[in-house]
Amino acid sequence: MNDAAPAVETEALGRDYGDTRALDGLNLVVPAGALVGLLGPNGAGKTTAMLLLATLLAPSRGVARIFGQDVSRRRHVVRRRLGLLFQETSIDGLLTVRENLLFAARLGGLGGRLARAAVSDAIERTGLGQFADRPAKTLSGGWRRLADVARATLHLPDLLILDEPTVGLDPEHRERMWNTIEAQRRERGTTVLFSTHYMAEAEPADRVVLLARGVMVADGSPADLRATIGDAVAEIEGEGAERLASALRGLGAARSAIRTGRGLRVGFAGPREAVVELAGAAPRIERLAIRPVSLEDVYFARTQVRSGDAA
Amino acid sequence: MSAASAVYGIVARDLARTTRQTSRLLGGLARPFIWLLLVGTGYDSIARIQSGVSYQTFVYPGVLIMAVLFGAMLTAIATVYDREFGMLRLMLASPAGLGAILLGRSLAAAAVGLVQGLVVLAAAPLLVEVTVAEFVASGATLAVAALSSSVLGLLVAARLRSVENFAGVINVVLFPLLFVSGALYPIAGMPQSLRTLALANPVTYQVDLMRHALGQPGEFAWSTDLGVLAATTAIIFGLATLLFDPEQRFFGARRTGR
Repeated sequence: MNDAAPAVETEALGRDYGDTRALDGLNLVVPAGALVGLLGPNGAGKTTAMLLLATLLAPSRGVARIFGQDVSRRRHVVRRRLGLLFQETSIDGLLTVRENLLFAARLGGLGGRLARAAVSDAIERTGLGQFADRPAKTLSGGWRRLADVARATLHLPDLLILDEPTVGLDPEHRERMWNTIEAQRRERGTTVLFSTHYMAEAEPADRVVLLARGVMVADGSPADLRATIGDAVAEIEGEGAERLASALRGLGAARSAIRTGRGLRVGFAGPREAVVELAGAAPRIERLAIRPVSLEDVYFARTQVRSGDAA
Repeated sequence: MSAASAVYGIVARDLARTTRQTSRLLGGLARPFIWLLLVGTGYDSIARIQSGVSYQTFVYPGVLIMAVLFGAMLTAIATVYDREFGMLRLMLASPAGLGAILLGRSLAAAAVGLVQGLVVLAAAPLLVEVTVAEFVASGATLAVAALSSSVLGLLVAARLRSVENFAGVINVVLFPLLFVSGALYPIAGMPQSLRTLALANPVTYQVDLMRHALGQPGEFAWSTDLGVLAATTAIIFGLATLLFDPEQRFFGARRTGR
């Protein structure tokens, strides 16, 4: 075991499905203990990347290592250090929560008292105590998802791979889920790699990796990525939006521009007063709003550029 | 130890699931009795077997095997539910390894099949003449047949992608396996083409072994039956393992890793 190695390290990792390149040339290093968000539109390659790292797919190209161990050659070693949560729930409705967790513990190689203790701990961590001995099919979707989290963390994995863990959850269960995962990070230094479509969830991440059409299009801290868009974003609506954006480009202030349904979203650097002044003098501008840059702006700027939709 | 824990976990889960699906369990138990009472009694009046026994006596070993075959194969084929609903992915991502997972599935399926077969066997004194020794031998034969049937189920599940195909599988796989096995009529009287199929069908040897166990004349020596069943079980299990994860093997691209 190589604990000095990064939690995740990939070199030119790629996977094809027939003629389709689902993932290509992924170079990714995730240090141990980091919280890394994987963002991208549907079909960007996020799930493929996670399945490759989870040893459930063999790469078509390149190499992936988990804590220094090759995921293709050392699957059994890698799997002991992984906690996985996929988009679909893996809780059997016919079994109770406790039975589901015991099943997962046994799959992980724990037996007897050790398995029962791990299950009890996991139930306590996730607040599932009141539901522990009820058939899982009687639980709400949120609690079933938390049972999934309990299942993924019960063997205290070193790396958690979470594929859209909060999809369909209400805010209360979402918070409960992240609190459980955060506790794992705080107490055990667990590395977490997660994908999400909720940009706000990626804000606390140490790093955000953006994928589009199977290729990595951005990699950095949320602050660094936001900085690539500019100091602020001007939402410009009206027929004159394009002309105002050109004027901003002419001044060298515009860093990025994205078409929206009603106009343009322009990331700019420099004093916002200058933009307001320019907009005030521009014809046919129906609405101008200036706001801080969000990860969503980064997401649209980077993923739309690759689709050729950028202004 | 981790593989043993995983196998135990899979067996415990499958047995718990089976006992909680009451209608499926009762349906599985009712099927052989319906055959015995309706088909056995009906054919008793028109069919005479060359050895002189009644049709009900002749068909009883076949119905015992039918109980095991349906119970074990359908439980093994239920792996396809796990594939469709993501549970199989969880199993494959565990450190246990594919071999342990499939072993667990086949043992669990065999246990379900064995229980269903034992229920039909428990009714033996009411239906046929049976000695204590024959009763015990039949129980042991049920265990052998259950293992053999469970790996057949795994082989089917290895390539089945969706539960929608389930009914088709019963019609296209289970019934032909049963009909071309000597369970319902002696294979000696079959046309040559069907007889050839019967000789390649592991269920034929399950039925034949059961006939020996119940003191009826068999088509082959009991040691031949046992040898064929041991060999085919091992071969079919190996084949199911290969087909379950053809990636990096011989069958081209698929998604799941070993």
